[in-house]
Amino acid sequence: MTLQVEVEQTQPLPLSGAFRCERGELLALVGPSGAGKTSMLRVLAGLMRPQRARVQIGDEIWCDSDRGIFVPPQQRHVGLVFQHYALMPHLSALDNVSLPLLHLPPAERRRQAARWLAHVRLSGAHQDRLPAALSGGEQQRVAVARALAREPRVLLLDEPFSAVDQMNRQGLYGLLAELRREMTIPIVLVTHDLHEAAMLADRLVVMDAGQVLQQGPPAAIHRAPRNARVADLVGIQNRFQGRWVGPSGQDGWGLLQWTAEDADAAALPLLKVRDKRRIDAGQDVHWVLTGDAISLLDRSPQSPDEFAAVVTEARPLGEITMLALELAALPGTVLRLTLSGPQRLGIEPGGTYTVRLDLGLVHVMPVRGR
Amino acid sequence: MDWQALILSLQLAGVTLLVLLPLGLWLGRWLAYTSFAGKSLIEALVVLPLVLPPTVLGYYLLVSMGGASPLGRWAAETLDLRLSFNFLGLVVASVIFNVPFIVQPVQRAFEAIPRHLTEAAAVSGLGFWQTWRRVEMPLAWPGVLSAVVLTFVHTMGEFGVVLMVGGSIPGETKTIAISIYDRVQAFDLASADRMALLLLALSLGAVTMSFFASARLAARR
Repeated sequence: MTLQVEVEQTQPLPLSGAFRCERGELLALVGPSGAGKTSMLRVLAGLMRPQRARVQIGDEIWCDSDRGIFVPPQQRHVGLVFQHYALMPHLSALDNVSLPLLHLPPAERRRQAARWLAHVRLSGAHQDRLPAALSGGEQQRVAVARALAREPRVLLLDEPFSAVDQMNRQGLYGLLAELRREMTIPIVLVTHDLHEAAMLADRLVVMDAGQVLQQGPPAAIHRAPRNARVADLVGIQNRFQGRWVGPSGQDGWGLLQWTAEDADAAALPLLKVRDKRRIDAGQDVHWVLTGDAISLLDRSPQSPDEFAAVVTEARPLGEITMLALELAALPGTVLRLTLSGPQRLGIEPGGTYTVRLDLGLVHVMPVRGR
Repeated sequence: MDWQALILSLQLAGVTLLVLLPLGLWLGRWLAYTSFAGKSLIEALVVLPLVLPPTVLGYYLLVSMGGASPLGRWAAETLDLRLSFNFLGLVVASVIFNVPFIVQPVQRAFEAIPRHLTEAAAVSGLGFWQTWRRVEMPLAWPGVLSAVVLTFVHTMGEFGVVLMVGGSIPGETKTIAISIYDRVQAFDLASADRMALLLLALSLGAVTMSFFASARLAARR
């Protein structure tokens, strides 16, 4: 039961892209607000009918604009958890969860609703309360129970964690992990929180301005964002400018000149990085490096992949320290990394260290509009 | 006390509501949920009876529904009905001058229902009538109740339009408001007093009841 989606719309707001989500897979739509994530979800639920779209779940076609097929939301069996839950304020938790069960006789309806509420661990005492008398986390559990009671063929979650505090959030992550284990349907999660997406999702679909920019496993996108915009959207901090010089003489490796505004051209470092033969010599590029590829050494540089740098910022956050270092060779160019363990102790702003870059992990992207 | 006039007024208010409530629910809900070019004009037409002087409204109704008008002639010839100076004419006039009193509160009530609630109902599989019964009406009923109360009380007290369209025929078009005027003209202040007090109590009671109901509902949330 695979969910396949294709959307193409220019009016009234641009929305385009295609993705698929396998059964049991959790796919996260990520991007800034206004990127069209929620609109995508509405297309899946049948609450929005785009100019051109194809939505298919298993062999069931929910929407095919070319063939004039549009299945209304009432007949789609979608479990949708709205951003602010959309619980009926005049109905108790139990009655809210009973809504998708109206086809059953009243007694059976209540029995099943109570079972779903127990499943999301909302205790019996809370089941007869109105939503206003429940905490944010409890309201969310009710919303999840209502979505599950629909016996959905696909579960859609719209920013489900945005309105609950950090403590409740941990519990809800646990609930979601549990649901994933027992459910074999595609789950699509909308979030603007990248850590959340990377932690929960099997695959990310990165969206911006209504467009799907890139999709893939979180680690793959972090390692190799398609362009600078994706790098920014997924929160890659170490993104630099450069110029592609060309082959290095060693097979599979090329030369990248690290550039920066106002830098002395003679001092620009030349880096030997992997060459995927996608970029022409002389072209301006962006390149990124994940935090894992940067290490901090307390000695002077000894090889071409080591650079002297001054600590400009050292921010301890609980058990980690976030560091910013300015390269001596490229004033204004800042590297960011996170340290944990004993190494982070004693690092103060102003200290000079050496950073070693694992150049095999450098990912180079051509500079294009966006 | 002119009991005949009081009963006539109650009948007029009841029949008006019977006709207007379904119409007002449909029109108010439609105006709340849809937007289109020309919506403002329709909304203006809905409010027009509220801002027009009752005699002006009554005059136009009389001219358009009277025996000499095309509509009046058509009603007389094809339906064998007269639309002026009788109870039927009053009902038609009353329905028209009460349109804003029912449509506006209904529209506001439906506008106040968050859109994601009806969407949640749709995603949960609820059809039109199920959504209407289980989501929309429970949330909109204070507004609908106040529309009903306003319309009822307003019909009981309307004077200008009723006089223009219906005249003052006892048992047919002489409502309690007209009877009060009649009594004052005849210097029978004692009778006018009792009837005016009754209308005052009725209006105050009805409006208080609708406020009380809304407040109780608000407290439950």
